[in-house]
Amino acid sequence: MHGTDSDGIITTGTTTVGLVGADGVVLAADSRASLGGRFVTNRTARKVVPVDDRTALTFAGSVGDAQSFVRRLRAELALYDMDHEPGASVDTAATVAADLIRRDPSPQLELVLGGVAPEPTVYQIDPAGGVMDAPIAASGSGMQLAYGYLEDAYDPEQSVAELRAVAAMAVRNATERDTASGDGMTIATITADELEREQYDGIERAVSAATTQPADSEVAR
Amino acid sequence: MNTSSRQQAYDRGHTIFSPDGRLYQVEYAREAVERGSPSVGVVTSEGVVLAARKRVRSPLLEPDSVEKIHRVDEHLAVATAGHAADARQLVEAARKRCQQHRLQYGEPIGVSVLASDLADHIQEQTQSGGTRPYGAAVLVGGVDPGPGPDPDSSPTPDDRSADEIESEPEHESATERTVQPALYEVDPGGTFYGWRGTAIGDGTAEIRSFLETELDGGDSTAETPSLTRDHGLSIALDALATTAADDRPLSPTTVTARVLGPGPESSSEQSTPVGDDELERVLAALESD
Repeated sequence: MHGTDSDGIITTGTTTVGLVGADGVVLAADSRASLGGRFVTNRTARKVVPVDDRTALTFAGSVGDAQSFVRRLRAELALYDMDHEPGASVDTAATVAADLIRRDPSPQLELVLGGVAPEPTVYQIDPAGGVMDAPIAASGSGMQLAYGYLEDAYDPEQSVAELRAVAAMAVRNATERDTASGDGMTIATITADELEREQYDGIERAVSAATTQPADSEVAR
Repeated sequence: MNTSSRQQAYDRGHTIFSPDGRLYQVEYAREAVERGSPSVGVVTSEGVVLAARKRVRSPLLEPDSVEKIHRVDEHLAVATAGHAADARQLVEAARKRCQQHRLQYGEPIGVSVLASDLADHIQEQTQSGGTRPYGAAVLVGGVDPGPGPDPDSSPTPDDRSADEIESEPEHESATERTVQPALYEVDPGGTFYGWRGTAIGDGTAEIRSFLETELDGGDSTAETPSLTRDHGLSIALDALATTAADDRPLSPTTVTARVLGPGPESSSEQSTPVGDDELERVLAALESD
């Protein structure tokens, strides 16, 4: 959908999701990078990246724009942390991210930015720098497929342990029909205590890992 | 302009040499540093200890608002002496430089690289028109990544994140992290030197001779024996105490310290402030000696 195949720009056709839960935030994305969704250039791309202690983002769009953007956002937040109290809020991170995007002449980036700083929050940031908070957000070419599943399966009362499974299923369902998404998955689970990121080689492997509750997390009733 | 005022002019503009080749404005700036409360740096085998005295001029002054040691990156800190306002500008320049280095090269800046960049920036103010030299000196303390693990046991290409879209450095949590601590002094003239232990500000001469005795046993040819972080902290605070004669004894209100060295395994943070409890404990131990 970020149709720049004529320029040969590598894009992450992509399905990414961000979900707010009762005790944290889950971000997930597939791991395919492609040329206009027609040729797979990389099967283990990580499109969920931490940018601060308890804040991470997912990106869809041009890989080049994303890499440069993430470096700049990390630098801005590192400077913020030293000039202020450490730990910029998710709101602040979203504001800085949108500002960086607006400064870019033609950014091809759709972001989902989420974290627990101080409360579980997810923002959708569009290529024009628009910022909207939302309990569920999806981006990339598989967005509609992911939303279709999330509208039915998402429950804001759920814990991150349960939402990992919901996020993994949303990405899985999108990869079934969206040719620009697939191969593997990255899932980030953010709570007030930690930011944990897992990388899976196959889509089904990710789904089975995410649907099996981790031993140390609280199993919700 | 008459003859006598023209002869005086070399001590006004800092870009003008005196007949005997001195830059008086730069020397006056060094004088300003000498009047500032002292900062000390000690290199240990586990990291660098920075400590400084704070001038708390009134019991009503909030001690936390007197800042002497500043974190500038996760592995670096800067201790200052001299004009506090000038020092803050240098700290800001250092922080920006650290992030710029990460943006440009995708890796943290080295201790000596930051020191030389700061020195370049400071030197520029002694040679360009319309500026004055910084009335502050800084100690740059930090840790560079140590020699990596044995090349034979280094990760195979498959383990490496060559296929990663992001450029996040992976933490070497599995292997023990080794570090190379380094300490540099940058003065208002823009020269920088590496030290195993030194001070800037008021009482520098006493502190330095104290450190020479403590770290070398007075023998300048001796190698520093391996020094623990705790021992380094104790020496740094003891050094500051040598200048405290006419002042109140050191307390967590009037002294501040930070250690640059490996932090918790799970974190890449290597710049840790020393807590009031520990300061209290170390100062009490020094007192009872």
